[in-house]
Amino acid sequence: MNTPRLVAAQPQSAHTSSTVSGGDFIQLRGVCKSYGEQLVVMDNLTLDMRADDRLVIIGPSGSGKSSLLRVLMGLEGIQGGTISFQGKPYIAGGKGCGKPLDESLRNQIGMVFQHYTLFPHLSVLGNLILAPTKVHGLSKAEATEKARAYLARLGLESKLHAYPSQLSGGQKQRVAIARALMLEPKLMLFDEVTSALDPEMVIEVQNVMMQLAEQKMAMIIVTHDMHFARHIATRVVFCANGKVVEQGPPEQIFTQPKEARTREFLEKVLHLD
Amino acid sequence: MNYQFDFHFLTGSFGALWDGLKVTLELALVSNLIGLVLGFGLCLMTLSRWFFIRWPAQLFIEFFRCTPALLQIVWFFYCVPMLFNVFIDPVAMGFLALGLNLAAFNSEAYRAGVQAVPREHLDASIALGLRSWQRTFYVVLPQALRSALPVLMTNGIGSLQQSALVAIVAVSDLMYVGKSLATEAYRPLETYTLIALIYFALSLPIAQLVQYIERRQEAAATR
Repeated sequence: MNTPRLVAAQPQSAHTSSTVSGGDFIQLRGVCKSYGEQLVVMDNLTLDMRADDRLVIIGPSGSGKSSLLRVLMGLEGIQGGTISFQGKPYIAGGKGCGKPLDESLRNQIGMVFQHYTLFPHLSVLGNLILAPTKVHGLSKAEATEKARAYLARLGLESKLHAYPSQLSGGQKQRVAIARALMLEPKLMLFDEVTSALDPEMVIEVQNVMMQLAEQKMAMIIVTHDMHFARHIATRVVFCANGKVVEQGPPEQIFTQPKEARTREFLEKVLHLD
Repeated sequence: MNYQFDFHFLTGSFGALWDGLKVTLELALVSNLIGLVLGFGLCLMTLSRWFFIRWPAQLFIEFFRCTPALLQIVWFFYCVPMLFNVFIDPVAMGFLALGLNLAAFNSEAYRAGVQAVPREHLDASIALGLRSWQRTFYVVLPQALRSALPVLMTNGIGSLQQSALVAIVAVSDLMYVGKSLATEAYRPLETYTLIALIYFALSLPIAQLVQYIERRQEAAATR
């Protein structure tokens, strides 16, 4: 079958082969982060990820799931610990800002947010080509060609010249995914991207994420949708109080959680579903 | 009321009224130009992370916001020559007083626009790798200017009305001409009504345009 690729052909094998056993695509070591004295969102957090992993992070609100993504994206600093990305030091906590040490590494990470973040004054095309032309030095023609291709794969070709206000919520999130993919990231972060959507639009966004998964995009996903988590994850990570309580393949976590806290959490959320 | 309206006496004064109108338009246009440009600069200053850049701009804005425009005009007209020993033509003085006043108000309009840009858009533009000046110029300012536009235009209309205040320092604008005509002919009712209608006719289209823009922005936001 000739599935259109969302992920540009990238030398994935270069690091997959070397990291299959080690899991050093991303390594968090002793990461600490708190807001003020009271709210500790990462407490000596340690986590590994392989280049072919799709981590789904679940846990009660306030457990630092979104903070983890924001830190990896370089939006917020950490107070302690280190993070490496593709085997290179990426973020180091400390008295400084704890922001990314290496811009070129950060540029290999893409992120999609819970709230719509398409820039309303730019058309879909404008949103897609802004960073490629301004940051990555692509010509307007090259970037436009690329944007067309991505939109076509997402079935949004006709929306090339539309403005965000003319799109539905699901279309906006799909364009936001395309905008992140334009930069050919090696890792995609999804921060509750479907929680602001009407139920009937959730599926179209999840389908795009599944497409990415089939094409072996490394992803870290924060979601409250346990069904989707089970479907897309290679590994589910349950966090609470700034620590990883338990992690494992989705079948294990959802059917036979080892930790009492995981069980308790899952019983609560699955009941609500 | 058995007042006999008589607009005929005005026919001989169209030339004078036209000259006054030109001065008024000039005042409104130049003060808006100053207000838009300087206001923008002031806004950037107030958003600076450095206190010594923020502080003078804030002081300037508060001074012009918190004193009457009439007083500012009079002050410029009488005090600037005394303090600095310069004698500028009264119309230029009017440009300065009205323009600086408008700049203070416009700066606040710009600032409100900047602060209305959602935090998430900044996050997204960082995630896309845009540098800080690129975030400002490609993401923040275009959005801020859009949301500030109706307020800037309303302030613009305001400065057209306020320009009438310069009549007090003998700048021969529309108001001043009207005042002279009214006293010469003892026909204040007709003269001031006509003058009011002219100001009204100049402002109404802009006010309508503001409403149209606001409606369109609202429609876009709720979709």
